[in-house]
Amino acid sequence: MEIIYASIGFFALAALLGMYLLTFVLRGKETPKAIVFTHGPMAVIGVVLLIIYILKGGPNPWESLVLFALAAVGGVYMLYRDLTGRPIPKALAVGHGLLAVCGFVLLLVFAFS
Amino acid sequence: METQSFWEATTPHRPEFPALDGNIDVDVAIIGGGITGITTALQLTNAGKKVAVLEARRVGGGTTGWSTGNLYVPVGFYLHNIARSRNQEVASTVARARYAALDYIEQQTREKNIDCHFSRRPWYFFTQEDNMVSTVEKEVETLQKAGLRADLVNDVPPLHLPELKRAAKMDGQARFHPLRYVLGLATAVAQQGCQIYEHTTVLDLKEKEDHCLLVTSHGVVTCRQVVIATHIPIGIHSVQTVAAPYRSYVVAMRLKSGAYPDAYFWHNDKTHHAITTHSSTSMELDMLMIAGNHHKTGQASHQEYQHYFNELEAYARKHFDVASVEFRWSAQHYRSGDGVPYIGLTHKSAKRTYIATGFYADGLTYGTIAGIQLADMITGRGNSWIGAFDATRGTNLATAGSFIKENLNVAAQYLKDFPVGKASHFSDIKAGEGKTIEVDAEKLAVYRDEQNQLHVCSAVCTHMKCIVNFNNAEKTWDCPCHGSRFMLDGSVIEGPAILNLERKQVDPQTEHLINTGGHTSGEREINNPIT
Repeated sequence: MEIIYASIGFFALAALLGMYLLTFVLRGKETPKAIVFTHGPMAVIGVVLLIIYILKGGPNPWESLVLFALAAVGGVYMLYRDLTGRPIPKALAVGHGLLAVCGFVLLLVFAFS
Repeated sequence: METQSFWEATTPHRPEFPALDGNIDVDVAIIGGGITGITTALQLTNAGKKVAVLEARRVGGGTTGWSTGNLYVPVGFYLHNIARSRNQEVASTVARARYAALDYIEQQTREKNIDCHFSRRPWYFFTQEDNMVSTVEKEVETLQKAGLRADLVNDVPPLHLPELKRAAKMDGQARFHPLRYVLGLATAVAQQGCQIYEHTTVLDLKEKEDHCLLVTSHGVVTCRQVVIATHIPIGIHSVQTVAAPYRSYVVAMRLKSGAYPDAYFWHNDKTHHAITTHSSTSMELDMLMIAGNHHKTGQASHQEYQHYFNELEAYARKHFDVASVEFRWSAQHYRSGDGVPYIGLTHKSAKRTYIATGFYADGLTYGTIAGIQLADMITGRGNSWIGAFDATRGTNLATAGSFIKENLNVAAQYLKDFPVGKASHFSDIKAGEGKTIEVDAEKLAVYRDEQNQLHVCSAVCTHMKCIVNFNNAEKTWDCPCHGSRFMLDGSVIEGPAILNLERKQVDPQTEHLINTGGHTSGEREINNPIT
């Protein structure tokens, strides 16, 4: 069970950094790349820990994993657009965040209910 | 002392080439009018191709006109290191290709009667330290295995150094005036029908099934093949992960004695110094140059660049009777992991787009090789160098360490873009000083000139969005990630960036950005289209 708490911890950090990044995207400002390159790896570690937890068998929060995977695809696409100078669609940034938040809430419900 | 290239200052008659005006259709378009681009243009024009050269600034005005004017077979990475990172056959091919390039340049200067002070002379490689002895010996051995004449010697006659541990000599190397040479070639090839356009920036490039399209600042170029001869490909390109940008420095001096040694020297101890001599207006030698002090672009020690020049000057004064320092300048080079340039088709799937990069600090000779080889590839002639310089070879086990090191370094530069801990007041910037500061959640590159005027641009590099650093020796903004460099007004000087840094306006009273109604730096429509 400790793995899932660690996963929650990394997702929580990623969420905080993600919200901070969202304020830049919504204002049309350049995202600070140190935050971008910290937010992504935090979320990746969270996903990896979640996969390890699920692979151990038993009841698992697969709905969260699906939502995080979809959010990750959006995140990679936004990173590609950002680094290649293309504007990040604000709706995509918000949608990426909502997917991740939904996944996070479901994960919390799974872990603490 | 401001930086100025000796070659720029000693080129009296510089031919003017027009900017592109409208759309054109050619067989081959060459982006970049340096030694690589112009040599390629000459070879292709001689082969009957209709060629256009598109130069964003002036012909020869990039690295070619800011080099050190030396032509030699050995390489800064060392041929014996290439034998290790690739194999002896590749090292031999590189050496023989460089030998052929010297002959080619000599032939061109004679045929076209180019007044560029070409003269053969020896190269010396020596050390005064025990731990460098094997390097000298191995380099001679590798040259000999390539079938070239190089010898270990007991003295370096013009210098007569004490405590010489090991020295090597190779005859038949050369010096020339690179800018006069390239302008001479450009003039000749233009007379043969090649179209050369200056002040014409390529903004977009697309390789289609049966042709290529180049969008420039002055029209569209349709062509069958494209050569990107811009030192490093412009835009975002995978080769930028294996060709790292470095700067090196040159100081040119006059000697009290007037006894300028007629040779090219590499003095390799803990540090590497290249010693060379050149002539300003005639064949008579009248200038000593010391070059060295390589570091990654935009990453000077403590962001202080002047000391690189000062160190070279101190070295010169220790070894020579320096009368006066006349010129100081700096130049960029790109290093491949295995020490061999990338010359050829840009990707494995590419059919029409060619690149040439990763020349280390040996680019005048490598640029000539690239011009000959690329023209041979485009015209379908055979060339035995193609395999050695294959631009699609990527990295291998021997170069994986260098690949990881350089790319971790780039990642570390991105991680410096933290939104805290920056000076955030314009008043913190003194006259003659440049800093990156954060205002209204935007990173700004701010320079205060001697008249107290502020020059403000976005500090976000238009290539891949690293934060640029101020170069206080050259008064430029240098990107520490991939080596793009910008003038104080944000204009691109060199490197992979295509677009200028976005200019910003600031209200001096409130120290806030003035919304000009244009796009913010995060919302550019066109950028880095070449992928």
